[in-house]
Amino acid sequence: MSLELNKLTHQVEDLGKALADRATEFEQRLPAAKAVLDAIGTADDALRHKVVIAKNFRWAGAIPTEEPVNAAFSLPPHPPRVNVIAGDGSQIHPDRHGIALYYLINVGSIVFRHGLADAPVVRSQPQVFYEEADLYEEDGGLIPSAMIDVQRDIAELGELARLAGEEAKAAPTVALLDNGLLLYITLQTPNQRLIDESLRDYLAQLDRLKASGAAVAGVVDRPRAAGVIRLLRLAEMDEGEIGEDTLRSLGPFQHMSDGMLFNFLRPGERSALFLNASPANIDRYGPRGHAIYFFYLNAGRPGKDALLRIEVPEWIAHDKDKLDLVHAAIVEQCRVPDGFPYVLMRAHELAVVTMSERRDLDQMVVGAMIRRGLSPHISQKAQGKAWTGAEKRRFRK
Amino acid sequence: MTSIPIGRMLRSSTAGFTFGCSVPEPEVPTFGTFVKAPAQRGQAEVIGLIYDIVIEDDPFVRQMVAAPNLSEAYIEDQRQNRQVPVEVSVLAVGYQNGAGLGGHAIRPYTYALPPQPPITLDHIHQCADDEVRAFTERFDYFRLVLDSRDAPADELLAASLRRAAAARPPEARAVFLLNAGKELARLLAMDVVRLENLLRRFRP
Repeated sequence: MSLELNKLTHQVEDLGKALADRATEFEQRLPAAKAVLDAIGTADDALRHKVVIAKNFRWAGAIPTEEPVNAAFSLPPHPPRVNVIAGDGSQIHPDRHGIALYYLINVGSIVFRHGLADAPVVRSQPQVFYEEADLYEEDGGLIPSAMIDVQRDIAELGELARLAGEEAKAAPTVALLDNGLLLYITLQTPNQRLIDESLRDYLAQLDRLKASGAAVAGVVDRPRAAGVIRLLRLAEMDEGEIGEDTLRSLGPFQHMSDGMLFNFLRPGERSALFLNASPANIDRYGPRGHAIYFFYLNAGRPGKDALLRIEVPEWIAHDKDKLDLVHAAIVEQCRVPDGFPYVLMRAHELAVVTMSERRDLDQMVVGAMIRRGLSPHISQKAQGKAWTGAEKRRFRK
Repeated sequence: MTSIPIGRMLRSSTAGFTFGCSVPEPEVPTFGTFVKAPAQRGQAEVIGLIYDIVIEDDPFVRQMVAAPNLSEAYIEDQRQNRQVPVEVSVLAVGYQNGAGLGGHAIRPYTYALPPQPPITLDHIHQCADDEVRAFTERFDYFRLVLDSRDAPADELLAASLRRAAAARPPEARAVFLLNAGKELARLLAMDVVRLENLLRRFRP
């Protein structure tokens, strides 16, 4: 065993104490944050003006809508017949120490026809990429992981759009994604062409979803975002104080998250809607009619809260019927697995590539190479890791 | 009679094998059923008796068991779409050489462990009535069942005899079971209590 756990005993004890201390400290600071949220209520012109100023400094907070920011909206009735579809993706990044240079994207999807006794329709669609044009950038460098991840995100949304086109004709349909709806590619690469192409393809899939008549939502479990906390900070500032430096700090709300703030939601209730003020949303999604809004939802049950962050495009946020459908469908889907949508768990199960499956795929690649006279082998470094990373045998007397 | 595949081989040894199947198979296997599996590249067929059926769970299913008002769609998803790990264990009780060589006549059986076990992913079939009748014309497989350490031997033997009797015309069943009882009386002459218990399980 390389990791000598006995040397970590004290550190782990200290870690536990630090977490407990932090939780206590957050509890002490939370009432003040909630008081600010209550004081805002329905955002007035003064706060809206502050938001306008803050946006000039690339402020990434939450923009209030017409709904009171401290409101809790009860669970709408669930229609007797709803299609809930979900997609998820996984990937194998290229390994330059591996047998061959390739990468793989696998997209799993499920169509759950609520109200019918039919077995859901499931699908798993893998694709392997190995051509030079797939693997290398124009400057000759290997494709970055962020680009593969964004290809996966586009493939997931594309699968949802394909299914929504078929299912929404039969019944009200909700398409769920196990992630937010904002691509983070804008933060992950300075390559403007890559950003443009990725957003173009992604937004095209949102166009298809909108045209299908289905509702779409991104689901984020255990959200860490602090957009609404940033709004509280902004509300507490005078207009003259607003600037890049002052906005960067959360002041008395430092390290708090929206999830802490919305712990007053009872099972089934959602928070108010907010518009995500991130520059990518305002500059890219908004002009295409897909500005991303979000709300928090307690998808748990009495005695076991489960707070989710739900992201929806503006054509859902502005359509009360579809918004209610998303709200009701997600809560219903969370009932069986106790706090997270069933269809998303299944889509993940259909998409995930396990280590043993990856080994099997490598063996298929080895076979294909040998049949063509090649001699596949992993690098000596990778071989060494395989030898030394295995469970060590213990000395026995 | 065409036999329907009821599963595929998971693991095997000469003493027996385990196959996997999903719940919605048309012929759901049951305890004591005679099954056959190819061996030696189809040159032989191993005959076995199902002695254990295990339906595995996983954390996902455990979570769902506790969920109130589980609708049909969830149940059908778990049963039809997820890999339903129904594992069926079989005790080898004999084999038939030349099974894959064609011809209509049922070839003679050997009432001993097969020379080779079936191979992973081979199809497992339920034996047709005529095959059950032919195999149980002789009772030489009794010893393999009675000596089994893995299977509940007495229950399994009784179940197999009930099935073998049911595969015969009604007028032949009593005679068949009587002859089977006589053979058991010979084999278990030194263990009268066990013999009595066993006979009670399949008497007509």
